[in-house]
Amino acid sequence: MKKQFAILSILIVLVLSVPVYAGIPLTTAQGAVNRVLDVLRDPKLKSPAAKEIKKEKLRIIYKDMFDEIEFSRRTLARNWNKFTPAQRAEFVDLFEQVLEKAYIDKILAYSNEKVNFYKETMISENQAEIQSRIITPSKEIPINYRMIRKGSKWKTYDVVVENVSLVQNYRTQFNDILASNTPEQLLEILRKKVKTH
Amino acid sequence: MKSYLLSIFLFIFLAVGPVHGAGTDAAQANTETSPSIVVVGETVETTTEAPDKTADPFQEEYENGEYTDNGANAASKEEKLEIADPLEPFNRAMFHFNDKLYFWMLKPVAQGYKEVVPEPVRISFKNFFSNLGFPIRFLSCLFQADFSGAATEAGRFGVNTIWGIGGLMDPAASKELDLQKQDTDLGLTLASYGVGHGFYIVWPLFGPSSPRDTIDLAGRYFLNPLSYITPWYYPLGTKALDVVNATSLSIGDYESLKEAAIDPYVALRDAYIQYRKKQIKRKNNKAGAAGVQLEGNLTKSGAY
Repeated sequence: MKKQFAILSILIVLVLSVPVYAGIPLTTAQGAVNRVLDVLRDPKLKSPAAKEIKKEKLRIIYKDMFDEIEFSRRTLARNWNKFTPAQRAEFVDLFEQVLEKAYIDKILAYSNEKVNFYKETMISENQAEIQSRIITPSKEIPINYRMIRKGSKWKTYDVVVENVSLVQNYRTQFNDILASNTPEQLLEILRKKVKTH
Repeated sequence: MKSYLLSIFLFIFLAVGPVHGAGTDAAQANTETSPSIVVVGETVETTTEAPDKTADPFQEEYENGEYTDNGANAASKEEKLEIADPLEPFNRAMFHFNDKLYFWMLKPVAQGYKEVVPEPVRISFKNFFSNLGFPIRFLSCLFQADFSGAATEAGRFGVNTIWGIGGLMDPAASKELDLQKQDTDLGLTLASYGVGHGFYIVWPLFGPSSPRDTIDLAGRYFLNPLSYITPWYYPLGTKALDVVNATSLSIGDYESLKEAAIDPYVALRDAYIQYRKKQIKRKNNKAGAAGVQLEGNLTKSGAY
């Protein structure tokens, strides 16, 4: 009798404690960004020769911060189903390389701008939007991170820069391409893009 | 005794559980209220569309979630975030023209200018030209019945023109005064009256636009004090300075957008549409907070 009661109360405590996430997404995003800033500010990595080391360190943080599959899935939206598992895996990989090539230089060019995290909004129990701002002398750039809970971790699945959602932007492009091309042709376009730059 | 304790636990569980879902509830409440506004103002047909176009910033998020999970709804909803592009061949040609213009002319000039003129001076110039944009922001606020916005703009213009040395500095935006620039224009004003984008058009020199925003471009010309300086080539010179100065502060932005894009033309079109849509949503929320029910109009026309 007492035992049953104990089990019941433990169960209830467990159930109750699950939905308490407030603050966690924000600290997760902020923590990841701070680690990026630490790498960029590291005086030991200042020399141009250390660029590759920096990139490697940033890649690890990126993997921890983003959910690449969720990210890719959302950019392909309904087209995701047209891809075979092998094509999906290749797409995720190529898309990641495209993003890295496009943004790594911008990130490495960072020169002590301030980054402020100031707001967390829970979209649903498992989704949150974090608002941050990069402050440069001539302007402020709002950057929002959309996060989703995967197990016990919060992962970013979309970045909204100056009100433009990255996922949405790529979704429009991929949609446009896939309207007249097969998934294989899209992969070919991405392969070329990764190679040429 | 046992059942008593159990019911207490149940009570706590029920009471605590929904707290974390508050955001969702609020979102749903928003979705539900907005159609009623529509019904009061306009035809029945609009009610079905209403939930998609609420002022709730996260509505889109729900739609996004649905894209991946059920493909059936996706098609119809995705259309809404796009813009008709019947002039695509012409627009693509103009896109390439502007692209070349940027890389061959504007960027080299702006880079040279950047070398010569220190950043604080360039920021001052930016403030100066921004201050001259006062008439269009002030009138846009008035047309939208946003009187506090209009007052803020008038205050900013006065303060910055007199104490900011003709607008070179921006003391009005300081912490003490906190008169922030109103993010509005004639395109947003038309949107607030329910005018939609129409279709996408890329103008040479001016870039992404739509018939609605073209009216804004025209308005910008007529409401800019610089346009009325004689002889005719003076305003041309100052406006060129405005463009070069602004470019010098944002070299690299266009490049990274282009570099990151798979199809730069589509990427820019989408960025333009997303950006305008968010501006309207924000304006919309502000109006809603002020008790003005412009929201209904917007929802009805699907203007974003």
